Amino acid sequence: MRKLLLGATAMAALSLASGAALACDPDYTGVTLTAASQTGPYIASALQSAGEEWAKKTCGKVNVVEFPWSELYPKIVTSLSSGEETFDVISFAPAWSPDFTDFLSEVPEAMRKGAAWDDIAPIYREQLMVWNGKTLSQTIDGDVHTYTYRIDLFEDPKEKEAFKAKYGYDLAVPQDWKQYLDIAEFFTRPDKGLWGTAEAYRRGGQQFWFFFSHAASYTNIPGQKGAMFFNPETMDAEINNPGWVRGLEEYVKSAKLAPPNALNFSFGEVNAAVAGGQVAQSIGWGDTGVIAADPKQSKISGNVGSAVLPGSNEIYDYKTKEWKKFDHIVKSPFMAFGGWQAAVPASSKNQEAAWNYIEFLSSPEVSGKAAITGGTGVNPYRISHTTNLDLWSKLFSPREAKEYLGAQADSLAAENVVLDMRLPGYFSYTEVVEIELSKALAGEESAQEALDNVAKEWNRLTDEFGRDKQLAAYRAAMGLPAK
Amino acid sequence: MRNDPIKYFFIWPALFVVLAISIFPLIYSLTTSFMSFRLVPPSPPRFNGLDNYVSLLTNPRFWHVTVTTSIIAFTSVAIQYVIGFAVALALHAKVPGEKLFRVGFLLPMLIAPVAVALIARQIFNPTQGPLNQFMTFLGFPNLPFLTETHWAIGALITVEVWQWTPFIILMLLAGLATLPDDVYEAASLENASPWRQFWDITFPMMLPISAAVVFIRLIESYKIIDTVFVLTGGGPGISTETLTLFAYQEGFKKFNLGYTSALSFLFLIVITVIGVVYLAILKPYLAKHR
Repeated sequence: MRKLLLGATAMAALSLASGAALACDPDYTGVTLTAASQTGPYIASALQSAGEEWAKKTCGKVNVVEFPWSELYPKIVTSLSSGEETFDVISFAPAWSPDFTDFLSEVPEAMRKGAAWDDIAPIYREQLMVWNGKTLSQTIDGDVHTYTYRIDLFEDPKEKEAFKAKYGYDLAVPQDWKQYLDIAEFFTRPDKGLWGTAEAYRRGGQQFWFFFSHAASYTNIPGQKGAMFFNPETMDAEINNPGWVRGLEEYVKSAKLAPPNALNFSFGEVNAAVAGGQVAQSIGWGDTGVIAADPKQSKISGNVGSAVLPGSNEIYDYKTKEWKKFDHIVKSPFMAFGGWQAAVPASSKNQEAAWNYIEFLSSPEVSGKAAITGGTGVNPYRISHTTNLDLWSKLFSPREAKEYLGAQADSLAAENVVLDMRLPGYFSYTEVVEIELSKALAGEESAQEALDNVAKEWNRLTDEFGRDKQLAAYRAAMGLPAK
Repeated sequence: MRNDPIKYFFIWPALFVVLAISIFPLIYSLTTSFMSFRLVPPSPPRFNGLDNYVSLLTNPRFWHVTVTTSIIAFTSVAIQYVIGFAVALALHAKVPGEKLFRVGFLLPMLIAPVAVALIARQIFNPTQGPLNQFMTFLGFPNLPFLTETHWAIGALITVEVWQWTPFIILMLLAGLATLPDDVYEAASLENASPWRQFWDITFPMMLPISAAVVFIRLIESYKIIDTVFVLTGGGPGISTETLTLFAYQEGFKKFNLGYTSALSFLFLIVITVIGVVYLAILKPYLAKHR
């Protein structure tokens, strides 16, 4: 009997052990990762749900610590610079990269190969995740501005006929910003509760990224890396050059063709205006298309068209100080904000487990699910996110899905896709942009005056923060070699 | 009082707690205000004397936000006081339904300022807001309540008045309840008109509590941030930016801690100067009616 009991116990222990081995792959039993995130649901909920799945798979644990936006940076930078092991995983805005990169561990080599790695859109894999030749972070959210329009209006034969009669060309997705403004003007019908466009114009309402999207088309000659914001040789501000001025003039014009309260629009109000059928078109992040396609939130579901942002066949060359003409429209989609990054501090004692968690979180399956789940704040950043139509069929009609994913994929893969600046003191630079934009929108200053003021302050800030240091960071952020 | 050393055993812990909670942060903040100290981009604290103060005092933005804050604070408190006094007098006169009015009038004060601002933002919405819909119905054009400087400041003052007049009503009602009836009876016997009774009896006797209430509201109004943040974000430009919103931008957006600390202390000085001047102006009147 005793032998029988011993045998049974041994068998049970063996089966439990083999079961545990099967459950924990790889086995991180006893490992608890601490991940820093902004307050949820955006991004934090994606980290949490992936953490729960990862815990089931590896027997480890992820503790997501949330901080309000204003506290996230100081918490992370303090822990990194003091060498504390406070966090095993940090999620952060790309603009903060320059201050973090010295303290981050490199993405493991094993993670940087294979189908899942190649599936990440090259603009992220080769540029945004890389700093001075080292891959130090993993994109966990994609952010690029795209164009959204109402299919029902654009394909109405009467509208098409009237548009052609007035402007002399067919009503279609605008190829340049002039066409965008023509369309906006054509559909501005306050008596019918319809306006031409909606963008964010409110100070403190993500407004400057919308302006940057206009200016990107006029300030980025293909192949001239890092030309948009600063002269990459001297770090002098370029924001008051004629390309920028033209971008601002058009941005101000667009505000006049938007709903009357648009000067108070943040991105949230833009989405509400689009989903409420108040406007014929708009520009913004991928959330607009998702919200507008949702019948529970939208009056225009089933009629949500998407495309790459308009471009330009004239681009200002900061070197020759002249406009350069092209025989075709150059599309320069702008990667506004750039998308949240995840990284592992070099001080973490759980680096292997932490990178394993990030790999799991950003895997095609887990991230694909997050991208179509409302409230996660995760937008497409993998090729598979934009090619798997089945994934999106719950949200969009086949045509909507095709256009939405096509716009995302084409923007990310565009030859002249433009990176947002990543610079120490990013929000000091953008604060003055917000103030001056707001004055220009209110008609208190001309575009040139507003941008001259911004340039003056940008140059002052650059001197205050250290011109050489800022130049080195700017060049690294734009993928240029160190001077 | 006995000179027993044991008393220190009981006093010191309390003193230490007070020092730790209230004095230490002030001293720390004051020290920081004399330093160049940024979190973004990170720069180690470096003593720079009065540079932050000089920089602020020579910054036109500081003077602009000070003037804007003063306009909002003085105008809104003046309106609050006039309306508040009138309503308090009406409620004190026991109008029919006085209890219902009393509760109704006090409700705005109980709502969080950020919620009030969100409601106001919807009311002032040019296309979907009831205010502009009503104006349109009467044949007026849509008005840029939150996007044109003068209208926006007017909207902020209106919201302040709506939310904080109840506080004045509450305090003045309490004051009115303490006034002696015999003075009024004597005035009635002398055939003094209600207007005369108000100016010669009620107003002078209410002066001490009025001075206190206005002072409290003035200081509170200078701290306005939630309403501005939600309604206008400080725009257009910096035309509706207030001192506290300016401090928020410097401290929590740009993480410029030394500069923000100096700004906080200048803010303290501005409030103190206003308080001292205010009390100096009122002193002869208060002394007369003591």
